[in-house]
Amino acid sequence: MSPRRAHNGGRIDRATRLRFTFDGTAMTGHAGDTLASALLANGISVVGRSFKYHRPRGVFSAGIEEPNALVTVIRGKLREPNIPATQIELYDGLTVESQNRFPSLSFDVGALNSLAGNLFAAGFYYKTFMGPVVGPLKGTRFWMFCEHFIRRAAGLGRAGYEPDTDRYEKMYGFCDVLVVGSGPAGLMAAKRAAATGKRVFLAEQEAEFGGTLRWKSATIDGLPAAEWVAATIAELATLPNVTLLPRTTVWGYYDDNALGALERVSDHKAHAAIGEPRHRHWTIRAGDVVLATGAFERPIVFPGNDRPGIMLASAAARYASEYGVLPGERIAIFANNDSAYEAALALKDAGAEIAAIIDVRAGVSLSARELAREAGAELLLGYAVTSTSGARRLREIEIQPFADGKVKDGATRAIVVDCLAVSGGWSPAIHLASQAGHAPQWDESLRAFLPPSPTQRWTGAGAFTGAFSAAAALGDDHAVNEPEIEYEPAPVFEIHPTGKKSGKAFVDLQHDVTASDIRLAHREGFQSVEHLKRYTTLGMATDQGKSSNVPGLAIMAAARGLPISEVGTTRFRPPFSAVSLGALAADRHGHFKPQRLTPMHDWHLARGARMYAAGLWYRPMIYGAGGETVEQAYVREARAVRASVGIVDVSTLGKIAVQGPDAAEFLDRVYTNMFSTLPVHKARYGLMLREEGIAFDDGTTWRLGEHDFLMTTTTANAGKVMQHLEYYLDCVWPDLRVHVTSVTDEWAGAAVAGPNARRVLEACVESTGVDNDALPFMGIVRGEIAGAPVMICRLSFSGELAYEVYCGAGHGQHVWDALMAAGQPFGIVPYGLEALGTLRIEKGHVTGAEIDGRTSPRDLYLDWMLSKKKPYIGSAMVDREGLVAPDRISLVGIVALDDRPLQGGGHIVEQLGEEPRGSIGHITGFCFSPALGKYIALALVKGGKARHGQRAFVSDPVRNRYGPVEIVSHHFFDPEGSRMHG
Amino acid sequence: MVEIVSPLEPDYRRGAHGNREGGSGVTLSETQPGSIVQLAAWPGQDEALRKVIQTVTGLHLDAVPGAGAIVENTAAFGFAPGRWLVVDQAEGRGETLRDRIGSDLGTVCDLSHGRTAIAVEGERAERLLSKLYALDFSAGAFPVGQAKSTAHHDVFTLIHRTGVDRFDLYVYRSFARSFWHLLRASAEEFGYTVE
Repeated sequence: MSPRRAHNGGRIDRATRLRFTFDGTAMTGHAGDTLASALLANGISVVGRSFKYHRPRGVFSAGIEEPNALVTVIRGKLREPNIPATQIELYDGLTVESQNRFPSLSFDVGALNSLAGNLFAAGFYYKTFMGPVVGPLKGTRFWMFCEHFIRRAAGLGRAGYEPDTDRYEKMYGFCDVLVVGSGPAGLMAAKRAAATGKRVFLAEQEAEFGGTLRWKSATIDGLPAAEWVAATIAELATLPNVTLLPRTTVWGYYDDNALGALERVSDHKAHAAIGEPRHRHWTIRAGDVVLATGAFERPIVFPGNDRPGIMLASAAARYASEYGVLPGERIAIFANNDSAYEAALALKDAGAEIAAIIDVRAGVSLSARELAREAGAELLLGYAVTSTSGARRLREIEIQPFADGKVKDGATRAIVVDCLAVSGGWSPAIHLASQAGHAPQWDESLRAFLPPSPTQRWTGAGAFTGAFSAAAALGDDHAVNEPEIEYEPAPVFEIHPTGKKSGKAFVDLQHDVTASDIRLAHREGFQSVEHLKRYTTLGMATDQGKSSNVPGLAIMAAARGLPISEVGTTRFRPPFSAVSLGALAADRHGHFKPQRLTPMHDWHLARGARMYAAGLWYRPMIYGAGGETVEQAYVREARAVRASVGIVDVSTLGKIAVQGPDAAEFLDRVYTNMFSTLPVHKARYGLMLREEGIAFDDGTTWRLGEHDFLMTTTTANAGKVMQHLEYYLDCVWPDLRVHVTSVTDEWAGAAVAGPNARRVLEACVESTGVDNDALPFMGIVRGEIAGAPVMICRLSFSGELAYEVYCGAGHGQHVWDALMAAGQPFGIVPYGLEALGTLRIEKGHVTGAEIDGRTSPRDLYLDWMLSKKKPYIGSAMVDREGLVAPDRISLVGIVALDDRPLQGGGHIVEQLGEEPRGSIGHITGFCFSPALGKYIALALVKGGKARHGQRAFVSDPVRNRYGPVEIVSHHFFDPEGSRMHG
Repeated sequence: MVEIVSPLEPDYRRGAHGNREGGSGVTLSETQPGSIVQLAAWPGQDEALRKVIQTVTGLHLDAVPGAGAIVENTAAFGFAPGRWLVVDQAEGRGETLRDRIGSDLGTVCDLSHGRTAIAVEGERAERLLSKLYALDFSAGAFPVGQAKSTAHHDVFTLIHRTGVDRFDLYVYRSFARSFWHLLRASAEEFGYTVE
């Protein structure tokens, strides 16, 4: 017989039929079903194969703790493996596959592992795959050989290869009270906090609020519990200070009452609404937290306890009452406490026959006896289930007398059943508390770990505290009518049969850890709970031992002859349950790595510029001119600059306003050279060092007024320089009256360079002259271009007569257009970073490639910039021994003697041999020089200047580039600077 | 005067967007102030500088962090110790302030081109911004008139609450278009209008 849909009952919407497929078979369910309930309703007993032994497994629970029924959800080409079927809400079109089976769920070749069961016991891999001492598979090589096959055979689901196209987002939440869990205790906590006007978040991991009240038979204030929940939620929903968060699992408890939560926004829909994410990750900062996370029912460990059809008693009752599903037609209950008796009655009410209630206790309460009578069940006290049978589904159980914690010899009795509902007591869900508290406390009467004392601001409520009844959770404010239940279980965690009875007794169903494995770990010395976990894998994987932890510890405690309280438990770490990586990445994934764009960005694109990223900035590399290679393009652009005029977007340069009466003094301290002597309307090239004397950044600084400087930095270092300046002003020299402000984005910049640069400006600049008198080298003027105010500084990075034209960023394109129009008669050419780099290499100007955090100013022949008249950051260290050593690598020029391109990072060696070694330096920047007609490079080479004129070799094994080079001065082109001063 | 070109062009598309089933939950607009001016006082000169702000703009600022005020087309708010932003729809405020603030008082830095101002307005404004910033946007924690300095990933943002359901955001111009994309994408689920 199979599980089936009951003829009536349940809270599903029987009028709505939803289609879904399981392993390609079309099935139907109803709105309100989970995949687990719908599979049971369709008569599916086997939903997966177990991890190691590939044993057939069925639905075991009805909640997040599900160890067996893990499936892969398929959406188009996307695969989401290892999702508990109990957590998947049914929707029309849902497609799922079972896992860990080949070729099919009903016939799985991996099941052969079961026959070799003892081979796969705990520690199997550690012991078995140590290779021989000699030979091709010696030592760990044998393991590496076997690993491939083992990984194929073991494991859970298979992830897909397609990129995840779903949308994820983050959300920050702030509240006075966060209530985790919406069972009776959570609802009451939320109501009470809301009534005081506090901001309340109520998070429930399932789709519906109410917890156990949704399927329990209790009445509250005369209303059926589920109706009371609906009324309470409706009331809370109207309150402006309450935020209801269904489908939201609070998974981590972090410092300062910050909690992580995952909201599954659209997993239950075939298609997310426009703009709706699949998952939303919440970071919640709560004044107080109420943990009302309930409790997990525990199984009892006995031989054959993993057969499909065996499930937790509360789960069986929930399937019957909430989903209208009978997990079996003829059901037995096996328990060590009263709560399963209530489940028996729920199953009977749904239409099942209760064959027997088997209880390890010799005597039970009157209330329990009454429940058994109402359920029509034969009450077998002092008995235990010692064996089960059935191929793919439970067919029969065997019971034997049980007393004093032991199975008694005597006649066995067989009972034909198709479902066995098991209850081994209850464990409060203390996971979050364990993350924000001290060690859990063992309770001898509940045989469970109770919440620890808190280390953060939380309180507990309801079953989480060990008070399992609805009445206890709701307090005195409500009249609760529910059966009287004794939750304290008999101290029985495992049934250890006598005689020749055998069969695997599973503790951790998800990882196929048996009671024998735990005893084996004990024998082999892995007795600490932490060692036990790692050696056997007990409590690992997706369910994290939610149902197996306590039975496992109990078996170890028994083996050690110690009470459980002394054996202790492992501490719970986040996450409580699986969190999608997409939600953790959210808008950092694909969507939002911010791009910084200059005001002329769109123009560059329209002109066919090939862009590349410089940090977050996007800058033109070259402007495409149809069919050119990169080298052809930059050579054309650089040549045009030397021949007539070119224009380049320099808006990305870091720009910092340095203002205040002490600004000049401050600059004298941060730059190696003097700025206090700089006249207003003049600019000066400056060099900054780090404290230990290493070059840090360079750039020009413009004096716009007595107390007003505009510092420019390299694009890459703008942020670092700003931090550097702020640090010194805030911490080292707070007495200096200087303000620094990032104005990088305030100004658009265009450098106009080439012999015709001045003529271009003359054609478009108004309100100021730009001739050599009005605008000498390093001079600054203010004027207008096409009506927009501009600031022009005559300075050169290219070695040509050049000007940097700055205007308000919002006028950037307007001014650029005017410059292009004015340059038209001179054939002005826009040039990109490759040409800019070519021009600077020809001139021997340094950039970040040479100021690389290792070079001193002397290495770069910038010692002429080191003032001897004043101290500056780095001055105390710049002359230290290591920085003036003659064998330091220093800046030189390199010319390829074989007319082939050089590349950055290539080594310079004195001789080429079979295995080139003995690097004397490396290339930092390279290009084809149109001015020289050669492939040239800048390099940092030991000895520097002393090697000018020497022959050496480039050795670049990575790119297989070897060849002769000549070491020359880094001033390749116009070393006198006659062009830029002209 | 030459018109200032918005960095949000060509991605600034007026009209209704996103999920329109529930109407428009939020309105996004670039406010394009003519003047965005940073004022910074030397230690001990805070009060004097706030008085200048009051004289020039008519806005009174309390002596508490993040205090701000709005009147018609002008807003001012503190965003760091001794630093304020004065925002005006009219151009040229920087010059007026520069004339009033001597070097003994502090400094004036004109950022009119360098910052982009985006207003987020509507009943879902708090919720939308909660996706981006780890700040409590509720009226109790972030009252009207108040301002905060914060960042979303790499995008430094000044946020000024200028109404019960309106926030004015100031971001660096170079980041503005990228940020605008994110803002629009985040608003999609509510339905949004670009004005």
